[in-house]
Amino acid sequence: MENEMTLSFIAISENEGLARMVMTSFIASLDPTIDELAEFKTIVSEAVTNAIIHGYEEDGEGIVTIRAKRSGREITMTIRDEGRGISNVEQAMEPLYTSKPERERSGMGFTIMESFADHLSVWSEPQKGTAITFTKEFLPIQSNFVLGER
Amino acid sequence: MKHQLLFVEDGIAIIRLKGELDHHATQTIRDEISQSLYRGTLRAIVWNLKELHFMDSAGIGLILGRMRDFVPSNGKTVILYPSETMKKIFQYSGLGSYVWQTTEEETIAELGGIFNGK
Repeated sequence: MENEMTLSFIAISENEGLARMVMTSFIASLDPTIDELAEFKTIVSEAVTNAIIHGYEEDGEGIVTIRAKRSGREITMTIRDEGRGISNVEQAMEPLYTSKPERERSGMGFTIMESFADHLSVWSEPQKGTAITFTKEFLPIQSNFVLGER
Repeated sequence: MKHQLLFVEDGIAIIRLKGELDHHATQTIRDEISQSLYRGTLRAIVWNLKELHFMDSAGIGLILGRMRDFVPSNGKTVILYPSETMKKIFQYSGLGSYVWQTTEEETIAELGGIFNGK
Protein backbone atom coordinates (compact mmCIF):
# COMPACT_ATOMS: atom_id res chain seq x y z
CA MET A 1 0.00 0.00 0.00
CA GLU A 2 1.81 3.10 -1.23
CA ASN A 3 1.02 6.78 -1.41
CA GLU A 4 2.90 10.02 -1.90
CA MET A 5 2.09 13.68 -1.33
CA THR A 6 3.56 17.16 -1.34
CA LEU A 7 2.34 20.11 0.73
CA SER A 8 3.67 23.68 0.51
CA PHE A 9 2.73 26.70 2.60
CA ILE A 10 4.11 30.11 3.57
CA ALA A 11 6.14 30.62 6.74
CA ILE A 12 3.56 31.76 9.28
CA SER A 13 3.03 30.02 12.60
CA GLU A 14 -0.64 29.31 11.91
CA ASN A 15 0.51 26.69 9.39
CA GLU A 16 2.10 24.52 12.11
CA GLY A 17 -1.40 23.28 12.91
CA LEU A 18 -2.24 22.90 9.23
CA ALA A 19 0.80 20.68 8.67
CA ARG A 20 -0.11 18.44 11.64
CA MET A 21 -3.69 18.12 10.42
CA VAL A 22 -2.77 17.22 6.84
CA MET A 23 -0.12 14.72 7.94
CA THR A 24 -2.55 13.15 10.42
CA SER A 25 -4.94 12.55 7.50
CA PHE A 26 -2.14 11.15 5.36
CA ILE A 27 -1.35 8.40 7.88
CA ALA A 28 -4.95 7.75 8.95
CA SER A 29 -5.24 4.54 6.92
CA LEU A 30 -2.42 3.04 9.02
CA ASP A 31 -4.76 3.24 12.01
CA PRO A 32 -2.00 4.41 14.36
CA THR A 33 -2.25 4.08 18.13
CA ILE A 34 -2.84 7.27 20.14
CA ASP A 35 0.81 7.36 21.18
CA GLU A 36 2.15 6.67 17.68
CA LEU A 37 0.00 9.46 16.28
CA ALA A 38 1.04 11.89 19.04
CA GLU A 39 4.73 11.15 18.48
CA PHE A 40 4.36 11.52 14.71
CA LYS A 41 2.52 14.84 15.05
CA THR A 42 5.20 16.08 17.46
CA ILE A 43 7.99 15.37 14.94
CA VAL A 44 6.04 17.16 12.19
CA SER A 45 5.35 20.10 14.47
CA GLU A 46 8.98 20.49 15.59
CA ALA A 47 10.36 20.29 12.05
CA VAL A 48 7.80 22.70 10.58
CA THR A 49 8.27 25.16 13.47
CA ASN A 50 12.04 25.07 12.89
CA ALA A 51 11.56 25.92 9.23
CA ILE A 52 9.13 28.75 9.99
CA ILE A 53 11.07 30.34 12.86
CA HIS A 54 14.70 29.59 12.09
CA GLY A 55 14.60 29.19 8.32
CA TYR A 56 12.47 32.20 7.53
CA GLU A 57 12.01 34.10 10.84
CA GLU A 58 8.25 33.98 10.18
CA ASP A 59 8.51 36.30 7.18
CA GLY A 60 5.25 35.08 5.64
CA GLU A 61 6.95 34.77 2.26
CA GLY A 62 9.28 31.80 2.41
CA ILE A 63 7.83 28.47 1.38
CA VAL A 64 8.00 25.34 3.53
CA THR A 65 7.56 22.11 1.60
CA ILE A 66 6.69 18.72 3.03
CA ARG A 67 7.11 15.61 0.90
CA ALA A 68 5.79 12.41 2.36
CA LYS A 69 5.74 8.83 1.25
CA ARG A 70 3.87 5.90 2.71
CA SER A 71 5.27 2.50 1.96
CA GLY A 72 3.63 -0.38 3.77
CA ARG A 73 3.58 0.72 7.40
CA GLU A 74 6.54 3.07 7.08
CA ILE A 75 6.31 6.84 6.55
CA THR A 76 9.22 8.81 5.12
CA MET A 77 8.95 12.56 5.27
CA THR A 78 11.13 15.51 4.29
CA ILE A 79 10.45 19.01 5.63
CA ARG A 80 12.36 21.53 3.58
CA ASP A 81 12.90 25.28 3.58
CA GLU A 82 15.05 27.52 1.44
CA GLY A 83 15.83 29.91 4.25
CA ARG A 84 18.94 30.97 6.09
CA GLY A 85 20.18 27.47 6.92
CA ILE A 86 22.08 26.23 9.98
CA SER A 87 25.82 26.88 10.05
CA ASN A 88 26.53 24.27 12.72
CA VAL A 89 24.09 21.35 12.55
CA GLU A 90 25.87 19.36 15.27
CA GLN A 91 25.50 22.23 17.73
CA ALA A 92 21.87 22.82 16.73
CA MET A 93 21.09 19.18 17.52
CA GLU A 94 22.53 19.30 21.05
CA PRO A 95 19.86 19.10 23.75
CA LEU A 96 18.93 22.53 25.17
CA TYR A 97 20.85 24.45 22.52
CA THR A 98 18.82 27.29 21.04
CA SER A 99 19.81 30.22 18.88
CA LYS A 100 16.74 32.06 20.12
CA PRO A 101 16.64 31.94 23.95
CA GLU A 102 14.84 35.29 24.01
CA ARG A 103 11.94 33.65 22.18
CA GLU A 104 11.58 30.99 24.89
CA ARG A 105 12.58 28.23 22.54
CA SER A 106 13.53 25.29 24.72
CA GLY A 107 16.25 23.92 22.45
CA MET A 108 14.66 20.47 22.65
CA GLY A 109 13.27 20.26 19.12
CA PHE A 110 15.93 18.05 17.58
CA THR A 111 16.22 15.83 20.67
CA ILE A 112 12.47 15.20 20.61
CA MET A 113 12.44 14.56 16.84
CA GLU A 114 15.33 12.10 17.12
CA SER A 115 13.68 10.29 20.03
CA PHE A 116 10.30 9.88 18.33
CA ALA A 117 11.56 9.04 14.82
CA ASP A 118 13.13 5.70 13.85
CA HIS A 119 15.69 7.51 11.74
CA LEU A 120 16.37 11.20 11.24
CA SER A 121 18.88 13.11 9.15
CA VAL A 122 19.48 16.81 8.65
CA TRP A 123 20.92 18.58 5.63
CA SER A 124 21.62 22.28 5.88
CA GLU A 125 23.68 24.92 4.18
CA PRO A 126 23.86 28.59 5.19
CA GLN A 127 21.72 30.82 2.94
CA LYS A 128 20.45 27.79 1.05
CA GLY A 129 18.12 26.15 3.49
CA THR A 130 17.48 23.12 5.65
CA ALA A 131 15.92 19.73 5.01
CA ILE A 132 14.95 17.33 7.78
CA THR A 133 14.17 13.77 6.68
CA PHE A 134 12.76 11.16 9.01
CA THR A 135 11.18 7.74 8.89
CA LYS A 136 8.74 6.21 11.32
CA GLU A 137 7.32 2.75 11.20
CA PHE A 138 3.90 2.04 12.62
CA LEU A 139 3.22 -1.22 14.39
CA PRO A 140 0.85 -3.74 12.83
CA ILE A 141 -2.78 -3.18 13.73
CA GLN A 142 -3.75 -5.17 16.80
CA SER A 143 -7.06 -6.77 16.09
CA ASN A 144 -9.45 -7.37 18.94
CA PHE A 145 -11.34 -9.93 16.93
CA VAL A 146 -10.25 -13.47 16.40
CA LEU A 147 -11.74 -15.39 13.53
CA GLY A 148 -13.06 -18.62 14.88
CA GLU A 149 -14.22 -21.75 13.13
CA ARG A 150 -17.87 -22.50 13.07
CA MET B 1 -5.93 27.54 22.12
CA LYS B 2 -7.82 28.10 25.31
CA HIS B 3 -6.70 28.23 28.87
CA GLN B 4 -8.21 28.90 32.21
CA LEU B 5 -6.36 30.41 35.10
CA LEU B 6 -7.52 29.97 38.67
CA PHE B 7 -6.06 31.24 41.87
CA VAL B 8 -6.07 29.34 45.05
CA GLU B 9 -5.53 31.22 48.26
CA ASP B 10 -2.01 31.77 49.35
CA GLY B 11 -0.12 32.17 46.08
CA ILE B 12 -0.97 29.04 44.15
CA ALA B 13 -1.96 29.48 40.50
CA ILE B 14 -3.61 26.74 38.49
CA ILE B 15 -3.43 26.92 34.71
CA ARG B 16 -5.69 24.55 32.80
CA LEU B 17 -4.61 24.29 29.18
CA LYS B 18 -7.00 23.11 26.48
CA GLY B 19 -6.59 22.19 22.82
CA GLU B 20 -3.21 22.20 21.09
CA LEU B 21 -0.12 23.89 22.50
CA ASP B 22 2.44 24.64 19.80
CA HIS B 23 4.65 27.62 18.96
CA HIS B 24 1.67 29.40 17.36
CA ALA B 25 -0.49 28.96 20.47
CA THR B 26 2.21 30.03 22.92
CA GLN B 27 2.52 33.32 21.03
CA THR B 28 -1.09 34.11 21.83
CA ILE B 29 -1.34 32.84 25.41
CA ARG B 30 2.08 33.62 26.87
CA ASP B 31 1.37 37.33 27.47
CA GLU B 32 -2.13 36.65 28.74
CA ILE B 33 -0.83 34.15 31.28
CA SER B 34 2.09 36.34 32.30
CA GLN B 35 -0.13 39.38 32.84
CA SER B 36 -2.47 37.37 35.05
CA LEU B 37 0.23 36.02 37.30
CA TYR B 38 1.38 38.07 40.23
CA ARG B 39 5.05 38.63 39.88
CA GLY B 40 6.99 37.65 42.95
CA THR B 41 4.10 36.55 45.14
CA LEU B 42 3.47 33.07 43.77
CA ARG B 43 4.45 29.98 45.71
CA ALA B 44 3.48 27.53 43.04
CA ILE B 45 2.17 27.14 39.52
CA VAL B 46 0.13 24.02 38.76
CA TRP B 47 -0.21 23.14 35.07
CA ASN B 48 -3.25 20.93 34.47
CA LEU B 49 -2.93 19.27 31.05
CA LYS B 50 -5.99 17.01 31.29
CA GLU B 51 -7.74 18.70 28.35
CA LEU B 52 -4.60 19.40 26.33
CA HIS B 53 -4.67 17.26 23.19
CA PHE B 54 -1.26 18.12 21.80
CA MET B 55 1.97 19.68 23.00
CA ASP B 56 5.43 20.00 21.45
CA SER B 57 8.61 21.64 22.75
CA ALA B 58 6.89 25.04 22.71
CA GLY B 59 5.13 23.84 25.87
CA ILE B 60 8.50 23.26 27.51
CA GLY B 61 9.50 26.85 26.65
CA LEU B 62 6.23 28.18 28.09
CA ILE B 63 6.56 26.28 31.38
CA LEU B 64 10.29 27.02 31.82
CA GLY B 65 9.69 30.70 31.08
CA ARG B 66 6.96 31.01 33.72
CA MET B 67 9.12 29.14 36.26
CA ARG B 68 11.90 31.63 35.65
CA ASP B 69 9.68 34.71 35.83
CA PHE B 70 7.17 33.93 38.55
CA VAL B 71 8.22 31.18 40.85
CA PRO B 72 10.82 32.11 43.47
CA SER B 73 13.66 29.67 43.97
CA ASN B 74 11.88 27.85 46.79
CA GLY B 75 8.57 27.82 44.89
CA LYS B 76 7.11 24.84 43.10
CA THR B 77 6.03 23.93 39.61
CA VAL B 78 3.68 20.98 39.26
CA ILE B 79 2.53 19.32 36.02
CA LEU B 80 -0.66 17.23 36.12
CA TYR B 81 -2.20 14.77 33.66
CA PRO B 82 0.32 14.80 30.80
CA SER B 83 -0.31 12.24 28.03
CA GLU B 84 2.24 9.43 27.58
CA THR B 85 3.91 11.37 24.75
CA MET B 86 3.99 14.61 26.75
CA LYS B 87 5.50 12.68 29.68
CA LYS B 88 8.37 11.62 27.42
CA ILE B 89 8.87 15.21 26.25
CA PHE B 90 9.07 16.37 29.89
CA GLN B 91 11.54 13.59 30.70
CA TYR B 92 13.84 14.47 27.77
CA SER B 93 13.74 18.12 28.86
CA GLY B 94 14.59 17.44 32.50
CA LEU B 95 11.11 18.30 33.74
CA GLY B 96 10.07 14.73 34.51
CA SER B 97 10.31 15.26 38.26
CA TYR B 98 7.71 18.05 38.10
CA VAL B 99 5.02 15.62 36.97
CA TRP B 100 2.82 14.58 39.89
CA GLN B 101 0.41 11.63 39.87
CA THR B 102 -2.17 13.49 41.96
CA THR B 103 -5.51 15.17 41.25
CA GLU B 104 -5.79 18.95 41.27
CA GLU B 105 -7.35 18.94 44.75
CA GLU B 106 -4.76 16.57 46.17
CA THR B 107 -2.02 18.73 44.70
CA ILE B 108 -3.38 21.87 46.34
CA ALA B 109 -3.77 20.09 49.66
CA GLU B 110 -0.18 18.88 49.35
CA LEU B 111 1.00 22.41 48.59
CA GLY B 112 -0.89 23.67 51.63
CA GLY B 113 -3.51 25.77 49.91
CA ILE B 114 -7.27 25.99 50.10
CA PHE B 115 -9.20 25.20 46.95
CA ASN B 116 -12.02 27.63 46.18
CA GLY B 117 -12.28 27.44 42.40
CA LYS B 118 -14.29 25.06 40.33
